[in-house]
Amino acid sequence: MTLILKNVCKSFGGLRAVSDVTFSVPERSIFGLIGPNGAGKTTVFNLVTGVYQFDAGSITLGGLCLGNLKPAEIAKAGIARTFQNIRLFSQLTVLENLLVACELQKKAHLFSALLRTRAHFDDEMAMTKRAQELLDVFSLRELADAPSTSLSYGNQRRLEIARAMMLSPKVLLLDEPAAGMNYGEAEGLKTQVRWLRDTFDLTVVLVEHNMQVVMGVCEEIHVLDHGETIAQGSAEIIRNHPAVITAYLGDDDVDAVGGDAA
Amino acid sequence: MAARIWTRTIVIALMVASASLALDLGFSRILTDGSLRQLLMLTACNVLVAVSLNVINGMAGQFSIGHAGFIGIGAYTAAIVASQLHVKLGAQTPTLANSFIVVPVALLAAALVAGAFGFLLGLPSLRLKGDYLAIVTLGFAEIFRLLIATADVGAKDTLSHAWSNVRGPGTFFHALSVSLTSLGGPQGYAGPVDQGVPLYAGPFWILTIVTLMVALAWRIKFSGWGRALRALREDEIASAAVGVDPTRYKVTSFVLAAVGAGVAGGLMAMMRDGTPSVQPDAFNFQTSFDAITMVILGGSGSVTGAVLGGVFVTLSIKAIEYGQGTSVIQEFRSHAEWLDLNALRMILYSVLLIALMIVRPEGLLGERELFQKRRAS
Repeated sequence: MTLILKNVCKSFGGLRAVSDVTFSVPERSIFGLIGPNGAGKTTVFNLVTGVYQFDAGSITLGGLCLGNLKPAEIAKAGIARTFQNIRLFSQLTVLENLLVACELQKKAHLFSALLRTRAHFDDEMAMTKRAQELLDVFSLRELADAPSTSLSYGNQRRLEIARAMMLSPKVLLLDEPAAGMNYGEAEGLKTQVRWLRDTFDLTVVLVEHNMQVVMGVCEEIHVLDHGETIAQGSAEIIRNHPAVITAYLGDDDVDAVGGDAA
Repeated sequence: MAARIWTRTIVIALMVASASLALDLGFSRILTDGSLRQLLMLTACNVLVAVSLNVINGMAGQFSIGHAGFIGIGAYTAAIVASQLHVKLGAQTPTLANSFIVVPVALLAAALVAGAFGFLLGLPSLRLKGDYLAIVTLGFAEIFRLLIATADVGAKDTLSHAWSNVRGPGTFFHALSVSLTSLGGPQGYAGPVDQGVPLYAGPFWILTIVTLMVALAWRIKFSGWGRALRALREDEIASAAVGVDPTRYKVTSFVLAAVGAGVAGGLMAMMRDGTPSVQPDAFNFQTSFDAITMVILGGSGSVTGAVLGGVFVTLSIKAIEYGQGTSVIQEFRSHAEWLDLNALRMILYSVLLIALMIVRPEGLLGERELFQKRRAS
């Protein structure tokens, strides 16, 4: 399923956070969305996942229009995400964090939970099994019963991805997964992202500042600045694109100190 | 596993039912003091109040301070339904056999009406949080109470006459006000012809229903549904991103809490050895506040904690009332007339709550439970 954004616009009061952004993410690709701070990358994620409503344009996933869907419905449609500032359910254990993401796949609902029917137990067993498999994948199995806040930063990031994967998504949106990672960890992340795509037949969209990760793993890159598209194409094209270099480094010596490229 | 749990559930249910039935039959012989019998049943009702409030305040993390409104709605609904049924059954002294007709119908009506109001109050909770939601819930409870307490009982019209004369908005509101008047105003509701609300709910009904509701609350907590509620409490955006629809879960938790409170109110209204009338002032802010105290003392989010809180608060209220009657205190009060022990109760709770917030901010049990099994994984 292809994720397509067409002429998407979003303003907050007088600020045009995203203006006229158009791109399409091919199925099973790893797609990078980059740009300097405040370029509107996370806003695009929030528009795709329904946290914000866009003002104009359209967003579709495999032909399904996401415009009027609520966040929970978009999750059901197959789009899972992680957050820039990790959002785990802090009072819940690691395993429970994953189990929350099963609610919409359940056949048994409140009524059968109250009656404790067979369906309720079958559901719980199946979900727990699936969650434990994913914990194995992200090597968090030993921490299953630990409160999620007790995890290290890197483990919290991995748990957030595992939680998103519980939805069996078709598209996975990762918001700055490499933030706070050192060189070695970032290299590991690159392998993990490719592995996720290959194993789960995913489409991955990556918002990232870490150029080592972006250039290394993304097959196609889309660059935003001040909410507008300034370039798109393969890593090679983006690396040498004059508009991108200007956006990151400024167009004369005076502005150059503001650049924040990694 | 399901089959084993079912067998166990049925065995426990039968045990609770037969034990409370035995208690029902021999209650006045076992406990000769009527006020003590009343206290025991009231404690059970308050446990249900605390457990139901815990669904919305503890599990869902929505701060509601208008629980008395739902209790009151349940109490009035059950009182009206029970009184009408009682008349239809011949208006004799309430018997256990007749209670099998009256109590289920009255409680079902109480649950439905309270649940409907819970749904209405749940809707603003989608947009409001924290203090703002608290004010809406408080407003709801107070509007309910004052609508009844300030009804003009001097009006001459009869209920059926007023409703058959509805010819537009003016007459409709007249009929509505006559209906409110028929609830007895500040004097309270005592049946359609003031012969008193029939007191059908003995220990059998109160204990079985409260036990059933506590068990349901427990199952809510330890199901995927309860887990989703807790997740929603922690982070609404992240919950929505994993497919937990905040609207559905929040509104449903309001409805569930309201249903529990409505049933508790219905039981209180029909409680044997209780007062045969329903007073609007029994559902004032003090009642809501007591319910919150029960939940917070026991530990927000803990079902068994709410049970403990309900027991403790009810007993302490009664202990102070009892203390007021003793000769020592009476003697003391003759020297110090300003002494009001009901006010003292508020001071006692305040001190207790402040101390608790310092020593154990999460309440007696926190979110844990007594008798909690280790999860089999």
